[in-house]
Amino acid sequence: MTTFLTYTALGLVLGAVYAIAASGLVLTYNTSGIFNFAHGAQAMIGAFTYYQLDVAWDLPAGVALVVVLGVLGPAMGWIQHALIMRGLRDTEQITRIVVTVAIMLGLVALAQWLWDPQEARIPGMLFGVDRTVTVLGVVLRYHEVLCLVIAVALAVGLRVLFNRSRLGVLMRATVDDPDLLSLAGHDPDRVSARAWMLGSTLAVLAGVLITPVIGGPLEANALTLLVVDAFAAALFGRLKSIPLTFLGAIVLGLMNSYLVAYAPSEWTWVGNLRQSLAMIVLFAILILLRHERLRGTATRSRERYEVPTVRRAVVWGGVFVLAVLAFRQIIDPSSVGVLQLGIAFAVIALSQTLLTGYAGELNLAPLAFSAIATLVAFHAGIQGEGLDARMSVGGLVAGVVAAAVTGAIVAVPALRLRGLYLALATLAFGVFVSSMILRDIQEHTLFGKTFAIFPNGNLLFPRLAIGPVDLADDDVFLMVTAVLFAVLGVGLVALRNSGYGRRLAAMKDSPAASAMLGQRLLRLKLTVFALSTAIAGLGGILMSMGLRSVTKEHFVFTMSLSLVMLAVIGGIGYVSGALFGGLIAGAGLTAIVTLLSDTATEHPQFEESLGLVSHIILVGAGLAGIGIAQNPSGILHDVFAAQRRLAKAPEIRYGALAVQCVLYALAWFDVLGTGTFVLLSLVLWLSLPSIGAALRPEKVSGGSARPVPPELIGIDSDYPPGLADRLDEQLGVNALRDRRGVSHAGA
Amino acid sequence: MTIPEVPPVVELRGVHAAYGDIEVLHGIDLTVPAGSVVALLGPNGAGKTTTMKIVSGLLRPTAGHLRFSGRDVTGITAVEAAGLGVCSIPEGRGVFANLTVRENLWVSAGERASLDDMEEVAYARFPRLKERRSQLAGSLSGGEQQMLALSRALGTNPAVLLLDELSMGLAPMVVSEMYEVVAGLAAEGVSILLAEQFARIVLPLADQAVLMVNGHAVRTGPPAEIEEELSTTYLGG
Amino acid sequence: MPVLETQGVSVRFGGNVALRDVSLTIEPGRVTGLIGPNGAGKTTMFNCVTGMQTVASGRVVFDGRDITGLGPGGRARLGMARTFQRLELFLSLSVRDNIRVAGDIVRANTRHRIDVEAETDRVLELAGLADIAGENVAEIPTGRARVVEVARALMTRPKLLLLDEPASGQTEQESERFADLLRELAADGIAVCLVEHDLPLVMSLCSTIHVLDHGTLIASGTAAEVQRSPEVIAAYIGTEAVA
Repeated sequence: MTTFLTYTALGLVLGAVYAIAASGLVLTYNTSGIFNFAHGAQAMIGAFTYYQLDVAWDLPAGVALVVVLGVLGPAMGWIQHALIMRGLRDTEQITRIVVTVAIMLGLVALAQWLWDPQEARIPGMLFGVDRTVTVLGVVLRYHEVLCLVIAVALAVGLRVLFNRSRLGVLMRATVDDPDLLSLAGHDPDRVSARAWMLGSTLAVLAGVLITPVIGGPLEANALTLLVVDAFAAALFGRLKSIPLTFLGAIVLGLMNSYLVAYAPSEWTWVGNLRQSLAMIVLFAILILLRHERLRGTATRSRERYEVPTVRRAVVWGGVFVLAVLAFRQIIDPSSVGVLQLGIAFAVIALSQTLLTGYAGELNLAPLAFSAIATLVAFHAGIQGEGLDARMSVGGLVAGVVAAAVTGAIVAVPALRLRGLYLALATLAFGVFVSSMILRDIQEHTLFGKTFAIFPNGNLLFPRLAIGPVDLADDDVFLMVTAVLFAVLGVGLVALRNSGYGRRLAAMKDSPAASAMLGQRLLRLKLTVFALSTAIAGLGGILMSMGLRSVTKEHFVFTMSLSLVMLAVIGGIGYVSGALFGGLIAGAGLTAIVTLLSDTATEHPQFEESLGLVSHIILVGAGLAGIGIAQNPSGILHDVFAAQRRLAKAPEIRYGALAVQCVLYALAWFDVLGTGTFVLLSLVLWLSLPSIGAALRPEKVSGGSARPVPPELIGIDSDYPPGLADRLDEQLGVNALRDRRGVSHAGA
Repeated sequence: MTIPEVPPVVELRGVHAAYGDIEVLHGIDLTVPAGSVVALLGPNGAGKTTTMKIVSGLLRPTAGHLRFSGRDVTGITAVEAAGLGVCSIPEGRGVFANLTVRENLWVSAGERASLDDMEEVAYARFPRLKERRSQLAGSLSGGEQQMLALSRALGTNPAVLLLDELSMGLAPMVVSEMYEVVAGLAAEGVSILLAEQFARIVLPLADQAVLMVNGHAVRTGPPAEIEEELSTTYLGG
Repeated sequence: MPVLETQGVSVRFGGNVALRDVSLTIEPGRVTGLIGPNGAGKTTMFNCVTGMQTVASGRVVFDGRDITGLGPGGRARLGMARTFQRLELFLSLSVRDNIRVAGDIVRANTRHRIDVEAETDRVLELAGLADIAGENVAEIPTGRARVVEVARALMTRPKLLLLDEPASGQTEQESERFADLLRELAADGIAVCLVEHDLPLVMSLCSTIHVLDHGTLIASGTAAEVQRSPEVIAAYIGTEAVA
């Protein structure tokens, strides 16, 4: 009995912390309509800062608490509100999600910079572990009691805030009707800024409390995932009701605790199950949620994408393959793998172009589907042993099909719901794959067969051999990957230009109008989801073949989020946006960081500053996503627009091409290093529109200026009194003036 | 034409307004002299509500000027307008449905009135609201909701009152009760701009009427003159 | 036989009754108008007919078939098409592709090898949109955008075409041309039904007019009949003497 009570108490404590985290999330979502994916990361920053102040700098716990709860929490909320509210009006859901995801990734990178992940930081309980109370035979530490007290106080406090305080009433009024609130003289923006500050402070509070409850050291990624438990709890209340959110949090906490207490000890996977419990619950709730009514929503968002013709796509596909081939000639053989990885990531990112760019649906965990494809291909398709092992075509196909089927299954419950829920479902699936499937490294025996899903946590993944073509050679494999990307890219453009692609665009722009034309939305969404996850699966297999040996770290959900974010930054509606995202996520960041650390080894005197630069780049890459609010169509959209202005000055382009050839020759003869070559080439093409405008102003700038509409011609020229009088005369105004005895304009 | 000594409380000059690419007001001129009641009349879709939104600061004109008491305030926000004493009761639901009656009054209260004042004034004029003060506004009848909305005007002592379709969806009895309150406010000297479809109800109240059709103010004049045109304008033929 | 018949349709939102026992019919080959003051329940009625709103009681019969439980897509596939008051165009597509995609959808649903291209050209011509076919639909004026919505609906070869305030945002010229188009469509046997604020347009265009007020059908008949109805006059202009 005491065991049961003990575990119940521990479950309640855990639930209490979940509740604190979840209520902050609900608060901000309801007052601003933005779902804060960075909520867990804020909790994490709070926990680390508290540790820094209390343990590392040895400040009294009270002072440390005041600083994190009184300053850090509100400040983070306020800054985030200021950053987000400025830019996110009239943007698509994906843009809103990407911005908070970017904050999350930026904060994680920041934490790993400030607090070396190699060092173990074990925060103590508030009041220490020795001070305990005993209730009904259950021994609870003060810290645990405090969690319960805070949660109860919060439940009461939020009730009082919302019902008995003016600020709370204003917050509810903001949710109800922000326009009416401003008519009553209150600024809804200011009210929601307060809500963000409170929400962020609650995140920090949860962050400080949770690690001692769970035990173990502070860990940036794990703490960031706290948000997922909070998501699940918040979904109990459909992201609206605070009481139901508390109930959900308690249920989750208790389930977690009982699982530890009563699961048979031979169930080795229970530890993993605990980690993904919230995800499973979240998924279950999504299935049970009632789906929403269809209503008209076609508002014009700020995102714009041009659709190229198939012919153009073919040309650019060819250019891409040739460019890779040429680039291969000037890089170090050891870098071929990095480049191949980048292109494999670009293939995975193509799944996002189709799904999000064309169809407007969301998937935050493309790499989870890559992992599924990799696992199935591994188990189904290896032929031969040791060095002679090869992947079979059958294995590859099986992997891709498995990814497609899984994609369809994951999408079914969430497809009836809004984009945000689909995003959450895919995130849930991503975490489930990371923490459950990819951690299943021990052998089980099921139906007389002994197997492990992810044997030893490390798959030795051989490359494909089709008849005489053996991809074991790195160069051949690189070119095959590049060609595959080009073919898929052209294929997607062709798809977008087909009836199917137009139906996707129609569904994205207006589901209501689409349905009223007879479109079966569910079916269309399912097919596009399956098709997209199939692409992610193929990309995943290409990645695994490139790496030859993969671990769960290669599919970690933060990597998925980075990839999605970078693809959006590049331009989610463009194949080239996927290439941009993939190359940066898969190759660019690695290449830059490697380059910097190599330089540091060569020139030890710069080591510190170079290390700083590489950290800044990692944090900046995360934070770059925030800028997407200013430019939701992606950077490439602007690059294309600028390049199009050069269409009338082909000589500028030929000149640039000649310069590019010279640069290439210099790199060929090792006058330029690879990094310098890439940099100079980028600078060349990005600055070309400005160069063009300087050299050929009449063609480049003149072409872009809008023609003056006829009614405005001459409006900026002088308007002498005599002319005004003449015009008045002709219009009969003067006659009118005479009748009323008013003097004329010219007089 | 002589310039009046007291500038009009509200003045619109050549105001254009659009929702996205759709222009709905094509150059409106409108004046609300101090202490008078101006009625905006016209069929659905004429642009009455949009005009109200411009004056209340919810919508920025795409061209033209908005002046309050002679001061150019074009581009003013709703919060600023409210601070200057513009009380706007929008079309349909002028209340927060998920707040109780008392909480609605709390939101209305501000620098201009305390909650106690608001409650006192509102309950004195509409005793039914007192009985329902802890009910959610959304559960009130249409008439009670409109009473609650009007309470904001009663309690905050506004300089200008904007009323958009006060009668919408209400029984005739209730409508006349509402307009009694409005007449009371007018007698106290509050300048009022009201948009109304039920022309005949507001004409006796108005000092001036403006007839709007398709985003233009087609006629401005004494109510009696405008009344003759109503039937034709509304029902065609 | 009417194409559409509602039998005692009622809708409640919370405690408020939005529609009370509304029974009306829409005949093929005619333009029918649905009018009423603000808040009368026109849009709710429209949503009930198109399946975007579930009814509390009553039945909706389309082409002799009870469709009360059917969703918007199902009703569309039976031959119902609508336009939207707050334009629901596919803003990333050109005018031509907005219309063409309707054909794509029909083709995907029916597996008939209809010639989407030729059909699109025919509808573009019929609706007088050929001159702006290549333009992005987000860039064209509202009046023509309304015509694009109608043209798009026509691609599904509907038996019933429902138009939600088609004339708002149109210039006088545009709305005249628009009225001609609607007459032509009705002459082809389509049942056209419009909710519209522009009463002169409704009066001149519609052979039958239903008037809603406070969620109740207060009059049905020809333009002349409706204009004479004291209830209609009271609903629109109000009555001086209030008891």
